[in-house]
Order: sequence, then C-alpha cells, then structure tokens
Amino acid sequence: MRFLPHTGSDRQAMLDSIGVSGMHDLFADIPSEFHVEKGSLKLADALSEAGIVRKFTRAAEKNHNASNSRYFLGGGTYHHFVPAAVDYVISRGEFLTAYTPYQPEISQGTLQALFEFQTMIARLTGMDVSNASMYEAATATAEAALMARRVTRKSRVLMAGSVNPRYRAVTANYLSRLDGEYAEVDMGAFGTDLDKVIAAMDEQTACVIVQYPDFYGSVYDLAPLHAACDANRCLMVVAFSDISAFALIESPGAMGADIAVGSGQSLGIPMGFGGPHLGLFTCKQKYVRQMPGRVCGMTSDANGKRGFVLTLSTREQHIRREKATSNICSNQGLMCTAAATYMTLMGDAGLATVARHSAAALQSLVSQLPAHVSAAAGAHYNETVLSFAGYAARERFLLATRNHDMFAGIPLEQIEAGVDTRHLLVATTEMIEEADITDFLAALEVSL
Amino acid sequence: MSQDTTFKYSATVGIQHEEALLFERVHEAPSSIHLPGIDGDISAELSLFSRQQAAGIPGLSEPETVRHFVRMSQWNHGIETGFYPLGSCTMKYNPRVNELLVRLPGLAHIHPDQPEHTVQGALELLYELQGWLGEISGLPYVTLQPAAGAHGELTGLMMIRAALDARGDAHRRKVLVPDSAHGTNPASAALCGMHTVELKSGPDGRIDLDELKAHLDDDTAALMMTNPNTAGAFESDIKEICSLVHAAGALVYGDGANLNALVGVARPGDMGIDCLHINVHKTFSTPHGGGGPGGGPVAVNEELAPFLPVPRIEKNGNAYTLAHACETSVGPVLGTAGQIGVLLRAHAYIAAFGHEHLHRIAEDAVLNANYVLHRLQERYHVPFPGLCKHECLLTDEWQEKHGAKTLDIAKRLIDLGFHPMTIYFPLIVHGAMLIEPTETESRETLDAFCDAMLDIADACEAGATEMLHEAPVKPFRRRLDETQAARKPVLVWPVEQP
Repeated sequence: MRFLPHTGSDRQAMLDSIGVSGMHDLFADIPSEFHVEKGSLKLADALSEAGIVRKFTRAAEKNHNASNSRYFLGGGTYHHFVPAAVDYVISRGEFLTAYTPYQPEISQGTLQALFEFQTMIARLTGMDVSNASMYEAATATAEAALMARRVTRKSRVLMAGSVNPRYRAVTANYLSRLDGEYAEVDMGAFGTDLDKVIAAMDEQTACVIVQYPDFYGSVYDLAPLHAACDANRCLMVVAFSDISAFALIESPGAMGADIAVGSGQSLGIPMGFGGPHLGLFTCKQKYVRQMPGRVCGMTSDANGKRGFVLTLSTREQHIRREKATSNICSNQGLMCTAAATYMTLMGDAGLATVARHSAAALQSLVSQLPAHVSAAAGAHYNETVLSFAGYAARERFLLATRNHDMFAGIPLEQIEAGVDTRHLLVATTEMIEEADITDFLAALEVSL
Repeated sequence: MSQDTTFKYSATVGIQHEEALLFERVHEAPSSIHLPGIDGDISAELSLFSRQQAAGIPGLSEPETVRHFVRMSQWNHGIETGFYPLGSCTMKYNPRVNELLVRLPGLAHIHPDQPEHTVQGALELLYELQGWLGEISGLPYVTLQPAAGAHGELTGLMMIRAALDARGDAHRRKVLVPDSAHGTNPASAALCGMHTVELKSGPDGRIDLDELKAHLDDDTAALMMTNPNTAGAFESDIKEICSLVHAAGALVYGDGANLNALVGVARPGDMGIDCLHINVHKTFSTPHGGGGPGGGPVAVNEELAPFLPVPRIEKNGNAYTLAHACETSVGPVLGTAGQIGVLLRAHAYIAAFGHEHLHRIAEDAVLNANYVLHRLQERYHVPFPGLCKHECLLTDEWQEKHGAKTLDIAKRLIDLGFHPMTIYFPLIVHGAMLIEPTETESRETLDAFCDAMLDIADACEAGATEMLHEAPVKPFRRRLDETQAARKPVLVWPVEQP
C-alpha cells in the first residue's frame, strides 16, 4: 500500500517493543462483536495510481465542461478566468498541506496571506474588516443574520425575495430552530423593490437582508434602505454572488452596508460543480467582536518583529463552546490564498477589466435580443432573466444551444421553485467572446 | 558516522526572506495582464452606479506575484515538509495524484446547475462515495452536503431533532456532551436550538455510566460522543452507553473526528451510534489547506434517513440525479450539493485502499500512536494509562516541577524540526499534549520525534529550562504576542499609510 511506509518487519518490531503479540491486541478494547472481518466491507477493489487516474478520467470525460462548452450559467457560480499561477500557488505543499495556523511561528505564510486577503476583500467590498472566510455564500448569509441578532439584541430577520433562493433557504433553515421571526418580502417581479422591503420593517427587525446585484442581476440604489435601517436601528446586510462586480459598481460599503457577505468564487476559484468555493464575511469595525469564524490579526513577536496570529478567539467555539458566535471551525483557508493570489495578479486594473468585460458581454447580448425574447428592465451587471413566449419556446432554444456546445442559462424554476417555466437566468463573464453572443442570438431564432 | 548528530533533527536555518506586505510595495502596479472577453460598452443604466474610487488592490506582475507567495509559503510548516502530530486533527499525507484528479477539466470546470445528463460522471463518483461512507460507518444513508465537521454536527443534530419531533418528542432539547468533547459539539447544539449539559468524565477519562444515567431523562434529545474519545481511548462501554441512551428515548450522535482509529476495523453504526459525521479532511486525507476547505458528510440509520438534507444524490435506473423534493427533509444546509472537490479526493483515498486494505489505515495509525506512547510513557506523565487508539495523551505534570510547561515543550519541538502536538486539549487534564501520528508516518520519523521529546525531558530534568522558555529561536518569527493582537485588533492594512 503506497501511502503506508512500514514494512512487515517494521510493524513486528514496533509491536514487539510495545509488548503486544499482534495487531489484534491493539484493538482488544473494542468488544469483539464489533470487529469487522478484514476485507469484508462492500467497497471496490483497491486501485493502483494508474487505475484511479483511468477511473476518474473516464468519469470526467462523461461531463460536459468549460474546456468544450461555452457557459452562460450563473446563479451563484461563475466561469471566470483562472490564471495558472493561482493554481500553482495553492498547490504548494506548504499552503496545501498545512493545518489551521494555531502555531503562528511556523504558519506565517498562511497568516500573512490571510491578512492580505482580509485587507483586499475589505477594500473591494468597501467594508472595514473581513474575516478569514466562511464555507460559501448561503451559510455566510445565515451567519450574517445570526450576527445581526446578536448585535441588535433583536430577533426578527427580514429577507428580500430577490436574494438567491438558496441563500434564503439556508438562512431560513438555520433560523428555524431558534426563537424569533423570519420573514421574506415577495417582490412580484425580477428585481428588488425597496419600498416593499422598507414597508415590511418594524422595530423588532434585527436586520434586512438584500442582495446586490440581486439574484436576477439587477443593480439598484441602496440609499433609501440605508436610511430606513438607521431609523429602525436595524442592520443592513448585503449579500452578493459575484464579487467581481465591485471593481465596476459602487461597493456594499459605499452603499452603507453594516454586514456584507457573499461568494468569492469569482476570484480565481473554478466552478468545481459547486465547491469548494469561498464564503466571504465583512462588516463594520464596531461589530468585529460579534463576527463568526476565524480572523487573522497583526501583532509583533518576542523580538519586536511584525507578525500575524489568529485573533479574537474568545468568540470561537474552542474557547466559548455553546456561547460561541458560531460553531464554525474549518473554513476555506486555501481558497483565501487562491483569492489573494488572484487579486494580486489582477490589481485594480485587472479586476476592473474582468468586471467591464463581464458587463459588456451582457450588454452586447441584451441589446441585440429579438423582439420575441425580453430581458428584465433596469441596470444589470452580468446577469439577467430572459423571458420566452412559453416553456416550449425556451426548451427549443436550450436544445439548439446544447447542439452548439453551449450552456445558455439556468431555467429559473430550477433554482426558484414555483416561477413560470418560460424564464432563463443568463450570466456572462470575460470568458464570453463576441462569437459566443452571435451563436446565442442565432439559436434564439428557433424559439420564435 | 552514527555519532554525527547533524542529521538527527531536521530543523536548520537557511535562506529565509523577509517579504513586505503587498500594500507596502512602492512601485506602480503594471497593467500587463491580458484578459479575454468583450471590450465593449456597458449599459447606460449600469454606468450610473460606477464605482467612484478604485478599491486599492495593489497588483503585481506575474513573476513578482509568484515570488511573493512562494516566499511566504516557505514560512509555513506542512505535512509535506515534516511531521505534524496534531492530536484530533489527523494530519496524514495528502496523495499528489488526488490533486491531479480534481483538476481534470471534466471535474473542475463544471457548473452545479448544468443539466444532470451532462454531469453523470461526477454524480457517479459522488454516489459511489456515499455508498462507501455508509458501508464504512455502518450507517447506510449518507449526505455529502455538509462543508466541514462542525457543519456535519449541525446537520446531524437537525436530523435528530426532526426524528424526535416525528416521534412526538418535540420537548426533547437537551444534549449531553462529555467534558472532553470538541468545542464544536456544544456550539453546534446551541445553533440547532438545543442546550447542552456537560458530563463529567470518569477517572479513566471515559464516559462515566453513573454520570450518564444521572443526566438521562425525558428531556434528553441526544448524547454527542466521540469514540475513541479525545483522550485517545476507546469507550469500551459503547454498547451499554447506546443502550442507556436509547432506553431513555434519546439518540446517539457520533463525532467522527476520530474515525481514523476505526476505519475498516469496526463500525460506529454496529455499536449503536445513530448518526455520525465524517471529517473527510481527517480520515480520508483531503488537504487541510491552512484551515480548510473540509468536508463533513453525515451517515445515519434508517430512522433518520427521511430527514437527510436536500439535494440528495440518487440513482434511478442507470441515471444519477440530484433530488430536491422531499417533504421530510431538514432542508438544505449549503447552497450546493457539497464541497465536491474535497469529496472527490476522499473517494480517491478510499479507492486506493479498497476493501482489501482499508483496515490498514486504522491498524498503522493505532500502531504508531501506541509506539509513541510506549517510547514516551516513562518520561512524560500519562493521565490515563493503558493502550491508546490513534492518538496518545500526555501531560506536563513532571516537567512543570522543573519549570517547563506544555507550551514551552511545544515551542521547543519547533526548534527541533517538528510541528507541536495539540496542546491544552482535551480540557479534562491539566497541560494536555495530544499526539496523533497517523498511518502515513515512518518508524524513522516517529523515533526522531520521540528522541526530541526525550531530549526535552532530559533538558527539563537538567534544569535547562531557559532554552525552553526562549523557544522557538530558529523560525522566522519568535513567540507572537496574542494579547496585543486581541486587545486592539488590526485585521486589515490601513488604506493610507503616512
């Protein structure tokens, strides 16, 4: 077995020195009725390295993927370009195979990368501070609701219906076993109507959660909500699904967010069939002691040299146990390093280009739509809803695009249960070229 | 040659570079990155929302970026650079081929919402993994969705709560947690709207049956237990423990953090555990990545199966599918089906051993821990004597008399070239040192570590404790001031530096 260094004689010598007669003696404290007969588990036969590569390659080849298809899919996961250097850096064993940096003297690489990550995420979102990541956007949204309840000591959570239905479902699920009300505001259209949200607020509301750009890609002014939140001593929580937007449009922080959470998958992390992605959690400085998750801070060492440590750990489960701000322990550390590397390669200019190209592709598409397909009105970043005459028309289009190695969008009802089956959620990134738009538009002809 | 101690311990001081923060670099960022896409106009509506001030992300050229991060990487200790005996963390070798596998375009570059018929290969691998985890745990119904161990705990408790509600026992909200448990256990229970009662461990560090009986009542929802426990000892009363809990109308939650001691040898489900999370980043060798990503699949018995989260990976005929609709489900706990790339690595680790060899993981892990225990037990206090499972627990009781504490011993190990063991956990002993060597370490490595530990014990007895208090002196940074960091937290670099 190639991962086990011992030879038979090593094992025997070690057993001898321990003073037991055989391996079974080491398991004598497990009642014999529970011993599994060796080799009896219903698993596959052991595979050599070559055998595993063959098996996985065959499985992978059955999947249509971005090396042979064009992607107009979003809904929380986006096909942005990933520079090779990002994957190289996170493949380094020193980053890849390290544990959580509990021993800071020998973990300064991870820690400085986290500090740079936190700084860049705070800057991009326009927020004061960032933690060292959450699992992904949906759980980050749920944790934001929980944090707002702690900060305000109020228990009602109000959620705009234009937040990604998956973020809503996970948040509702997290809150459903705790005291306090959870309410969603139905928008009635593919966009965010802040008047409706504001009308649903009351004095007991701990936070209002909106998405910006919203689930349908709509971009709107958060100023009215910010004012209403201040008036009600309620926190404004802004979720987002493609952080690349904030190199182009005003950030959640500039719009007055108290907490901003979302996905950092766009920052150098492949779609990966849904994970591992990167959950982001940012907030105002004054709330930092109520944040969930790990956070890296600057300090100095015994020689007075600057260094970094995990800090504010008295919030966390290993110290506070049932009174912790969250149960989170493992986070997405390596994905933070990926995002930090990506942002360093891009800089402000590169990030702005990614965002501009992503938005320009959508604009190119929407501005050329034929009359029988409509796009949601108003400002959109890189995602929108296209509406067809009916289900059959949409399906004819999807079939035509599949024949062109194209994933043209997500049937909206696949994520948002209950909506009409004639809508398509369509997203663009800098990976979309003019030719892809041309092919997309050509395929729309069949949906007449 | 055998007298030469140069190679006895590996730590040395070579070229170590200081590396400024990105934000301290002075030169202007290059605009050399060439990106694909449509260099066209954005909509007029969107222009109204244009960001007024750039974020301030200081870009570097590719060569500078790579050097920046590679230099930083060299300040890290990882399992590839050396021994990493963190108790309860199962730091084993992460096979390189698994990194290659998850980067295959057909697995890395697929979208969670593309049509199911275009991702059958991925679903097939995940479905097979589900079955294997059910078989290994003895709990046949599995969700792969939880993103980490603590997330698995929350998911499992949600299912237990739902099952109790379905029994008509909605008043049962008390969770019993031994005082040796991981901090995530009580934190997860609280997040699930339950409250915890701590069980005091018996004199042998194990669950005390009388203590358990005294706390089991009509309000009890579950016992959360880790077996082997966090002292590295198997709870040999497991059958009686489960019987008592079940007789009281409650369920048994298994924290699978220590599954490495049992994998292929014994199955929690057979012992009466109702629900178990599995840390694939421990037992099944997916890289820890400096804190994550992890994966925390949960395996349950038949009673809990209706409550598994959605989406579920199912097989209908020859087709694999993600099933979203299920009225009894506790709902989704994540925005997607799981941390797929992590799960695929776990699949590959199990596949490499197969049914023929899987038990050798636990055998060698337990052998290694007992070997370390045997070599150190004369010189370090062992709070709970006897054979251990996959990890062994020592304390600083004998060294403290000479003025050296667990922290000093840990920091001295760094100077000798080893990552320290887990320290000050579990909380049930004073000055805990929890050592978990895992199955992928050679006898040579274990001997070198034990020699280092014995040298430290010698130094303490010889009164050379100053060296321990000073440690570490070799790494790039010495002891860091955690109090200063927490008192006035600096979590980001300021935007404008004078």
